[in-house]
Amino acid sequence: MDEEAQVVDAHGGAAPRAAVETQALVKHFRSRNGDVEAVCGVDLRVDAGGIFGFLGPNGAGKSTTVRMLTTLLSITSGTARVAGVDVAGEPDEVRRRIGVALQEAGLDPRQTGRELLVLQGRLFGLSSRDAAARAGELLALVELEDAADRRIDGYSGGMKRRLDLASALVHEPEVLFLDEPTTGLDPASRLTVWEEVRRINRRGTTVFLTTQYLEEADQLCDRLAIIDQGRIVREGTPASLKAELRKRRGLAEEPTLDDVFLDATGRTRGRVAGDVQEVAA
Amino acid sequence: MTYAWALGRRALREAWRTPDAMLPTLFIPLFFLVVNVGQAARIFPSSTTDFLEGQGYGAFQLPSSLLLAASFGTAALFLVEEIEGGYFDKLRATPIPRTAIVLGRLIAELAKGLLVAAVLVLVALPFGISVASGPIGFVLLVALTALWSVVFLGFMQLIALKTRSAAATNSGGLVFFPLLFLTPNFVPRDLLTEPMEIAATLNPVTYVMEALRSLILEEFDWGNILPGFAVVIVLGALMIALNVRTIRRYD
Repeated sequence: MDEEAQVVDAHGGAAPRAAVETQALVKHFRSRNGDVEAVCGVDLRVDAGGIFGFLGPNGAGKSTTVRMLTTLLSITSGTARVAGVDVAGEPDEVRRRIGVALQEAGLDPRQTGRELLVLQGRLFGLSSRDAAARAGELLALVELEDAADRRIDGYSGGMKRRLDLASALVHEPEVLFLDEPTTGLDPASRLTVWEEVRRINRRGTTVFLTTQYLEEADQLCDRLAIIDQGRIVREGTPASLKAELRKRRGLAEEPTLDDVFLDATGRTRGRVAGDVQEVAA
Repeated sequence: MTYAWALGRRALREAWRTPDAMLPTLFIPLFFLVVNVGQAARIFPSSTTDFLEGQGYGAFQLPSSLLLAASFGTAALFLVEEIEGGYFDKLRATPIPRTAIVLGRLIAELAKGLLVAAVLVLVALPFGISVASGPIGFVLLVALTALWSVVFLGFMQLIALKTRSAAATNSGGLVFFPLLFLTPNFVPRDLLTEPMEIAATLNPVTYVMEALRSLILEEFDWGNILPGFAVVIVLGALMIALNVRTIRRYD
């Protein structure tokens, strides 16, 4: 872990600084049919310097939680601090410290990749010259130099994801939120994004990653939490979660993260297979 | 203003790269100018029609075409695309003032409005229409038209932000047509029937139209010109405030 991510705790020992900390975080949406409780009292602590995986089935509250942490959704009740800053109280300060790449690669299709990155740099307070230089660095980092001056509407899905990642890094954020960054990508593009995420993390950025791909969480994350129906139902390292399930169930072989997920969310392989068949039909 | 200007330049690039979205703002108003003049010019010959101040009926109709050109608000549909595509969230996640997000597109609309209005007036000049208030009047004419386009885009953006729907935003634009026709569109206000005159007096678009018309037909008559500018300034400020409030409360 990064030395800068260590702070001295109340007992004089070194405790990791929290990149994300929530207490009793709640989000209600009003609808015609009454209130919908999308997130119901989430307590989370993500240490600085790692890659944190946030898993859950569709509609579990992953994206809603991320949108609250990134200032894009109001918080109904509870508190959230990101990079040490209160999200509800100082949203602009949080925005300066985070990078955001959401489910839809949020790009302006009528700009070129370079124009988009330069604009993003300007919006984070860089001078024109510095924004241009930073755009060049990032285009090299995500290997989009050849396509830099082409309009984004001509990019492939993988190129858009990489550009979206680059745009989230313009201001060298302390915490990077990635909401399902590989959904819809082919296997090769997915591996490229994984490598980018590891590289970003090695440079000292804490990564908060939501994903539905358990293999992705297993490959990338130091720690993870599983959310279901708006509540955290498991939290720990992938290894500790597997070990806990193996011990509790008395399994002969080490379970996979899929088994942990199915156990945590009360689903069974049969039911999941049924769900898939239903979708395919 | 640095942020608003950066976003304004982006919106101008967007407009430049989508000429198909801009061309109708020139051709449709010119079409209506030709059709309206063709239908009514013989009813109102300049020699016997006092309110034309010696010009042809085309000069009387030009303000309607200018207002129509400034009332497309197509940039609001690009905003809906951004909301649907996620780029609007990307902008909201930056630490810039919410006012800058609103002003970015409005600055670009002002620039486009100046260009479109100038082109329309310059195209009209060879057809016997002149600007009686001279070069300064021409500048005011173009500026007032462009400011109205900012007001109208502010209104369209508000619908886009509230509904997040291209269909609803498009429909919202149709609100302008009743407003355009509840004005002294074909004759001066004092020649309208009493119910129409009351409706036109209550309609703020009337004062913008009368200011534009005054700049074309008369030397400076500030009593007609200033109310037009007052309307666009008050409505413009209102639209900016409502847009900013909507973005601050956007969930």
